[in-house]
Amino acid sequence: MLVRRNPGWTIPEREVTPESSFFGRRAALAAGLAGTGLVLPPSRAGATGLPVAMRNPRYKAERAITPEREATTYNNYYEFGSHKTISAAAQKLPLRPWTVRVEGMVERPAEFGLDDLLRRLPIEERVYRHRCVEAWAMVVPWTGFQLSELLKLAGPLGSAKYVRFETAAVPAVMPGLRQSWYPWPYVEGCTIAEAANELSFMVVGAYGKPLPPQNGGPVRMHFPWKYGFKSGKSIVRIVLTDQKPVSFWEKIQPQEYGFWANVNPAVPHPRWSQATERMLGTDERVPTQLFNGYGEFVAGLYEGLQRERLWA
Amino acid sequence: MPFLLIAALLLLAAGAALGFAFGWGAPLGEALFRYDPALLNTAQAGIQRHLSPALWDEAALPLLERPSWLVPFVLGALLLLLYGLLAARRRRRPAVGG
Repeated sequence: MLVRRNPGWTIPEREVTPESSFFGRRAALAAGLAGTGLVLPPSRAGATGLPVAMRNPRYKAERAITPEREATTYNNYYEFGSHKTISAAAQKLPLRPWTVRVEGMVERPAEFGLDDLLRRLPIEERVYRHRCVEAWAMVVPWTGFQLSELLKLAGPLGSAKYVRFETAAVPAVMPGLRQSWYPWPYVEGCTIAEAANELSFMVVGAYGKPLPPQNGGPVRMHFPWKYGFKSGKSIVRIVLTDQKPVSFWEKIQPQEYGFWANVNPAVPHPRWSQATERMLGTDERVPTQLFNGYGEFVAGLYEGLQRERLWA
Repeated sequence: MPFLLIAALLLLAAGAALGFAFGWGAPLGEALFRYDPALLNTAQAGIQRHLSPALWDEAALPLLERPSWLVPFVLGALLLLLYGLLAARRRRRPAVGG
């Protein structure tokens, strides 16, 4: 008869720590410390391929965070369609290898590998409000780096006045590109002063995970004081220039979508009011705020520009 | 009957006009976009958001990708054919009351 005597160090299988808990223990520890006020809760990014990102407390959304499922299944990404349920189709977009080329009026034009940027630049988490021009809104914990940090690597020249952002154009997976009459690739732009503003954020993650393609992964812009269409998705090229960029939507419907597109509840869209916004997740209607509530950070950018069409 | 013939000729003329105006290889979508840049975006949003995303991708888009002259030309040709068939049938109808 076989008699098995277990050594003293063995434990039953049921007591083995799950792999997810083991790899998440640093986050759990930090979350515990956060409760004591010692540190801020980090995102779960370290366990998912992103560098660990601490939440920056300077940027307060003052609204509940939108459930992840809502924010990742209700999306505008015109290359994949004009409806909100493009998330399944967007999964076909290959996210690696991914490079971002920075060129134009810079001292050191370069093509940066995204993973290289994640190692070189300070990564943080910011909870930003996001206001779509279609009058819906969400609040998302974004992970990323300040745009100005990336531009510093290239060294902007003094003659650069604007920054132009180009989205990837991958006809094999983007059915929208079959509409050859549109001015692809999707282009957006801002002034060099707007790009240098501390709020201008290049997003590589959301909810502590790598940014999914339907939200503009692997890397997108976020200008939280502007309507969402200004924040280009899946960015592959950034050009510093002295020419004001003409954006994709500006070429198609200039009377509705302009260069500045700052959020303003008092200036209606030609076809609907911008006074309120519908929160994803709750469908609650809340009042829209001037500059989406970020006036203290950005209002100064527009002093002396009252003659510009700042709100569309 | 003359209505069918007029409609067929108008469609054939429209096809020719589109071909000359936008080039014989230009897709119908491009012609419509050049006529009104916002038209197709509005149509796509209406169809994909309120009817079905696939209706645009699988039905409307293949039509819009065809050369601009082709769609009115084919429609015009079909109407012309229908007109011819109806006219022939009428000629074959026996006289009555003689």
